[in-house]
Amino acid sequence: MNVEITSLTRRFGSVAAVAGVDLRLGPGVFGLLGPNGAGKTSLLRMMATAMPPSSGSLRLLGRDPGGYGPRCEIRRRLGYLPQNPGYYPGFTVAEYVEYFALLKEVPPARIRAAVATAVDRVALGDRKKARLRTLSGGMLRRASIAQAIVNEPDLLLLDEPTAGLDPEQRVAFRALLRDLGQRATVVVSTHLVEDVAAACAQVALMDRGKVVFAGTPESLAAQGDGHGAGDTPLERGYTAVLAQARS
Amino acid sequence: MTAATRVSSATPRRPGADRPGLSTLRLLRLELRHNAMAWLLPVVFVLFWLVTYRKTMAMPPLWNVRAAGLQVGVAADFSVPVTGAAAWMGSREARRRVTDQVTITARSRWARLLVAWAATAIWAMLAYLGCLAVLYGVTAHQATWGGPLWWPAAVAAASVLVFCALGFVVGAFLPSRFTAPLVAIAVFFVLALSTEPIHGGHSVFQVSPIVTGPWDLGAQPGVATFYPFQPDLSVAQVMFLAGLSVALLGVLALPAGSAGRAMRAVAAGCAIAGLLAAGTAVGLTGTGTMDAAGMIDIPALHDAATGRPLEFTPVCSRTVIPVCLNPAYATYLPATASALAPLLSELAGLPGAPARIDQEPVAYKQGADNSVAFLLHEPAVSGTPPAFGLVLPVQLGYPAMTAAQQANQVVTTYGPDLVADVIGDGHGATQAQNAVATGLMIAAGLRRLDTYYVPSAQPASARPLPATPGGPDPGRSPGVAPGTPAYDAAERFAALPPAARHAWLVRNLAALRAGRLTLAQLP
Repeated sequence: MNVEITSLTRRFGSVAAVAGVDLRLGPGVFGLLGPNGAGKTSLLRMMATAMPPSSGSLRLLGRDPGGYGPRCEIRRRLGYLPQNPGYYPGFTVAEYVEYFALLKEVPPARIRAAVATAVDRVALGDRKKARLRTLSGGMLRRASIAQAIVNEPDLLLLDEPTAGLDPEQRVAFRALLRDLGQRATVVVSTHLVEDVAAACAQVALMDRGKVVFAGTPESLAAQGDGHGAGDTPLERGYTAVLAQARS
Repeated sequence: MTAATRVSSATPRRPGADRPGLSTLRLLRLELRHNAMAWLLPVVFVLFWLVTYRKTMAMPPLWNVRAAGLQVGVAADFSVPVTGAAAWMGSREARRRVTDQVTITARSRWARLLVAWAATAIWAMLAYLGCLAVLYGVTAHQATWGGPLWWPAAVAAASVLVFCALGFVVGAFLPSRFTAPLVAIAVFFVLALSTEPIHGGHSVFQVSPIVTGPWDLGAQPGVATFYPFQPDLSVAQVMFLAGLSVALLGVLALPAGSAGRAMRAVAAGCAIAGLLAAGTAVGLTGTGTMDAAGMIDIPALHDAATGRPLEFTPVCSRTVIPVCLNPAYATYLPATASALAPLLSELAGLPGAPARIDQEPVAYKQGADNSVAFLLHEPAVSGTPPAFGLVLPVQLGYPAMTAAQQANQVVTTYGPDLVADVIGDGHGATQAQNAVATGLMIAAGLRRLDTYYVPSAQPASARPLPATPGGPDPGRSPGVAPGTPAYDAAERFAALPPAARHAWLVRNLAALRAGRLTLAQLP
């Protein structure tokens, strides 16, 4: 298991953003669904070692991120795309990705190839010398995805990765996700159930800090048979499970 | 996006085998390429040229003066742009909202920030070294003696580094777009006000990098030319600034998660060691007092061997009585010798006339608060062979004067003393002595009689020079006044042919000095 989470909780004052989550994830693409404020981003940030949990157990890639040494080991094999990624406007696409490759301690001999590969995989090869300030929002999002995958992570955490991407790019991105999921554990937090349907083998639905459903997209869709509201089976399953959890 | 291309699957990496030094260099290269300090270089150069270079170049080409100008100027010119750029870089991650992305990388926060700081510091140091090279290069071309003083240059370099560290740390801990301008302005004012509490010696505030010696004395051309440059204060300043820089950079690693336990321990050690060094430097500076050579003497750092006068071969004129100056002041020799030449021609060959005119050092004495007295030896012919000592106005830090103005000032100040010493003029002198002395001055065409003052009989071995160049020395008594019999005799004596005047003096100087001649016995 690349991710082993037991009773994970994160509190901000009296508010429990994540309240006793249990998850076990191996290689593959895992979808994390939920309404705004459900705790998806907080859970993802804890899995990214950007934020420590208030309580509970978290093991990533077989290591406990509580210690500095193991945390560094994890981070060397981790990729993370925040919900609102920042960037340095003066950097070119290639420099931006190289910068993160260096921070992620990709071996120097492999950096050039790793950067080129990551930039190509997000279809920015022809813009690799363009400064980030000149890119559109969708291109910036792709550059941020490139920095997340430049170290070929074994655990890739993506928070709303398809926001700002046009339909063509979104389709290509789903293909990329499936490809990455063959080897690594990819966790995708999203509002878009079609992304989950197209790319995820497993899905979890969060609400009010708790996981209220975990299973395959098909089983989530089955939850909505004759109950939920929505245009697709997955949307109906999504709304049905949420309604049941809140009742 | 394509899923077709793939790189080889990841394998566990051993960081030690990944040549982290090379990674750091590549990171440094990226940071250098995108550093705010690089954009501010033109600002730094313009500031340096406007504020420091022009002012320093207007000063005499003496290494001590130029080095002091460099130290103070660089501290003032670089403080705002370097602190601001460093604060901008230190706050960059938060301003650009990349904190989460960089936090989850394997490289520690401390290491990451140190690379960004190093890039900023490298640009700032390159700018400083450029300014240093130009200023010292021009000075080397102009200076007639001595060599570069590196301790003031080291203080300036340490100032640049501490501005860089201070701005960066403040930017990192208080990230905001307003941090850079605010901290830059604050540093400038702190620097400017850092000398306000200085009142005489024993002040810890002398550790400020804009202090190059006894406060209010300014860059003294008379310092470090007859005696070696005393680096005591500079050593303490470098110790203070370097300690502060190290402490600030160590503080960067103190927040939890900034580095591993071992590295944080090292950082904490650096912070403590840096603070101790800075504190020690402040304490040492508090023991510093001005010595007679005009430099700060810190007992714990003082090397007694540097208190001995410098050995040098003076540069001398080809006048009948050679005028010999310290080679550092060689540019003043032609004008000085030329101005003194008529008077020296009158005196040459007379009994008691000096064999040469020698430049002498100035002695300094700390007064109340920040006032400093210049102590000069009583001008007199003495020694074997007999020599007459003088001090150039430039040694006293008078406002900038041309070499001709300097020479005129020397003649105005020392001409009467020299004549009086040979003739025996002064308080208690006879009217004949007054008249002959005045006549010689008129014959040499040096001064108008109404501004001529005969020397006083002030007994002190040392006395202060006039506060205003060319102004009357309160220690001298008025000479002969127009319309008096002595004045008429002086004019008659001056009107004699030079040979006759000289022959009369050779025959009668002993009797004149003894006061045995009257006005009526003058030719």
